This record gives sequence, C-alpha cells and structure tokens, in this order.
Amino acid sequence: MSSIIELKNVCKSFGKTEVLHNIDLSIQEGEVVVVIGPSGSGKSTLIRCINCLELISSGELVVDTIKIPAERKKMRQIRLEVGMVFQQFNLFPHLTALDNVAFGPTKARKMNKLKAAEIARDLLEKVGLSAFQNKLPGQLSGGQQQRVAIARALAVSPKVLLFDEPTSALDPEMIGEVLDVMKNIAKDSGMTMVVVTHEMGFAAQVGDRLIFMDDGRIVEEGKPGEVMKNPQSDRLKDFLGHVKHH
Amino acid sequence: MDFEFSVITESLPALLAGAKLTWIITILGIVGGMICGILAGLGRIAGTEALGEEPHGIFKPISVLIRYISSGYVETIRGTPIIVQAMFLYFAFPMLVKAVFDIDRFRIEALTAAVITIIFNAGAYIAEIVRGSVISVDKGLLEAGMSLGISRFQLIVYVIGPIAFRRMIPPLGNQFIISLKDTSLFIVIGVGELTRQGQEIMASNFRALEIWLTVAVMYLIMTTVLAWSLRRIEKKMKIF
Repeated sequence: MSSIIELKNVCKSFGKTEVLHNIDLSIQEGEVVVVIGPSGSGKSTLIRCINCLELISSGELVVDTIKIPAERKKMRQIRLEVGMVFQQFNLFPHLTALDNVAFGPTKARKMNKLKAAEIARDLLEKVGLSAFQNKLPGQLSGGQQQRVAIARALAVSPKVLLFDEPTSALDPEMIGEVLDVMKNIAKDSGMTMVVVTHEMGFAAQVGDRLIFMDDGRIVEEGKPGEVMKNPQSDRLKDFLGHVKHH
Repeated sequence: MDFEFSVITESLPALLAGAKLTWIITILGIVGGMICGILAGLGRIAGTEALGEEPHGIFKPISVLIRYISSGYVETIRGTPIIVQAMFLYFAFPMLVKAVFDIDRFRIEALTAAVITIIFNAGAYIAEIVRGSVISVDKGLLEAGMSLGISRFQLIVYVIGPIAFRRMIPPLGNQFIISLKDTSLFIVIGVGELTRQGQEIMASNFRALEIWLTVAVMYLIMTTVLAWSLRRIEKKMKIF
C-alpha cells in the first residue's frame, strides 16, 4: 500500500490566526481515518486543505502524487479524485436527486447523459433512495439529502472521500441511515475515507485509525479502540468524557 | 364638465401607434439591458469569491480592471438622470463625435437614441440586481460544485446562474416596468411614443381628461402584461 495523502509540516493561517500547526500525516490507500476533536481544533480546515478548498500556508501537501498548491488544472484534477460530503449537504436546490448525482459525471467527467443517469440511478439505489430520484432537495429529509450528497460525491468515482461532520446537522433519528451508508462504502468499495465526526461508535466500528486534534495539532492517533480505551492526554480524556455523555 | 367618448375613439389610432413605439423601445431596451446588466453585474464581482475561486497570475489585475470599468459604468448611469442621458446622446454626442473625429454628418436617430438610452440605463440597474442575486448564492453550493472538479465557467453556468436567476425575477419585474415608463421621457428628443402622441393630440383639441385617461390606461395595460409575463416565468421555475 502506498500513501495517497501526505502532509509534512503543514501550517495554515487565516490572517494572523494559525489554525493548523505543523501537521504531519500520511494516509494510505483504502484507509478509513476518523478525525475527532473539539470545535475550532482545525479538523474541518485539515480536510478542506486536502480538497484544495483552502490552500495551505506552508509545509508540504501531496494528494494523489500531485503537490499542492498547483496550477488550477491540476487542482481541479485533485478535486475530481477527492470527493467531499458537507455538514450542510449543499445539494443543488434546482436539480432533482437524480440530476444532482448525475451532475459530476456529465459536467466534470464529460460523460454522456444516458450513461451518467444510469450511474446515478445505481448509486441512488445503493443509498436506498431509488424512489426519490425525481424529488428536489427541498422535498427530502435531512438524512435523505445527505445520502444523495454521498451518492453525488461517489458518482465521479473519486479515489478519496472526505466527510466534514456529515451527521452534525441531522436529527438524531436520521443519523443512523447516513452512517449505515458510510459503513457500506467503507466495507464494500475499499474507498479511502477521511471522516470528521463526533460519532464514536462509527469511529470504533469502521475506522482504521483515529486522530484526535486539539488547537490545530494532532494530539493522539492510533487504532480507534485503543485510543478510546487508553487516552494518554488529559485533553482527550476530557473530550471523550464529554462525548460519551451525549 | 363633459366627457366626450368620441374624442377617445378619434384619437385611438394615433395613441395606439404611440403605444406600439413605446412597446418596441421597451422590449429592445430590456433585452439589451439584460445583456448589458449581466455583463456589468458579473463584471463588478469578477475575480471575487462570489464566482468561485480567486484568480491567479495575470487574471488578477485583469479582474481588477474589469471591476473598475463595470463599477464606473454603473455609478455614472445611476448618478445621472435618464433625461440628461437621452439629451446627451441625442444632442451632445454627435457634436462630440464631430469635434473629435471631424465627421460632418454624424447623427443619431431619435428612436435609436431612445433605445440605446434605455439599454444603458436599465443595464446599470440590472447589473446591481444581477450582482445582488449572485452574491446571495450560498457559498456551500459553490464549494459543492468545485469539489466535484468542475471549471469556473461550468460553476457559473450550471450552479450560480440558475439559482441566482430565480432570485432576480421580482426585482427585474420592477426594473422592466420602470424602463417602460421611462420611455415617456423621450418626449424631449421628439420620439413619437405614447406620451408624445397624447401631448400632440391634446395640444390640438384641449381634451386633457379623455386623452390623459386613455394614455394612462394604455400604460397600465402594458405594465400589467410585463408583470404578468414575469410572474408566469416565476411560476414555471421550480420552487425550492
């Protein structure tokens, strides 16, 4: 296995505030990495940098053998290979579920419409939403919208999927359906996944590695079960205490 | 006071001819104004995050230049009365051309001047409508588009455009109606539109009540048609 995402000494600042300090991280192909940490710890910024939605301030970031920052065309190439699922779903409100999923294949991969629709239908079936393909996002529940968003990200067949707190905006009863879809992707496709989440059960079950971030640094990492059972730092102990109470 | 219905029927052909001209100026003006307004509206936010990522290299100074030109246009038009713009274009501009390029017989037809004035005037206001709608598009949707690996051009055409367009319709309705009514100001450069026709008939028969009532109703019918068509478009668009 080779590493598909490589960060060396990466720093990221917004103005004068540094949100990522000297991050070293290497993610292998097929690995499922779960990132946890308190809000403001830089988890989201970390994965947004991997997708070039933010550009790093210093250090070295290599994604799928392309060094970032790169010229615009190459960054677009990276985004094709690195999909993203957002906390707020961000489905295109003017397109049906099917058209949302077919959007990437037709526009970014230049696939013909019939073939793209076929792929989209398959993916919607995979996330259990075949019956909803002609609905607009506004007609779907939060959990359904997020499942469509996952299908949309999968449709361009990326090598990596990033999840930015995919269940944080959902009602409790809808979290399960989204996590189930994510679990299936992890198990069936061997997709490389980086998941920012507060769902510790998901981390333990699916994660190959757990990363705890605080204040822009990676404080602890390791096998999810071990890290959760034996937290070394006070900050992680404290954090786990808070998470478990919810 | 006597109200002569026959005055209306007698003056109807002339008034209808005027209304037709008003309608032609308006339609040409708002079609041109839309093109002008979309260009200037996007121009005012060229190279900003509202249209995706900020540009690199040579595109950075170019986008700054485009922003300045678009803003200069919008502020100049908004900052001067339309009647001054019409008179400038019709009376002053040919003199300017004559002086600068030494062309003797350069002239602009009154109707042409009227159409161009409406195009540029409506364009400036539409530019602000376009800009406002575009910057109101949720940034998360832009990120979702970008994260799929589409180009900036595709982002504007397939994501920002359709979402922003739906938000433009109500304020566009306002602007179209204002532009239609603004054509009445071209009386000053002698375009035979509806108001001028009314004025001329009135000057010969002094039947102010019948004439201006008819003129007002004709404007009302035309603005109602405009408003109604826009509402149709709005309803046809899927609601979200």
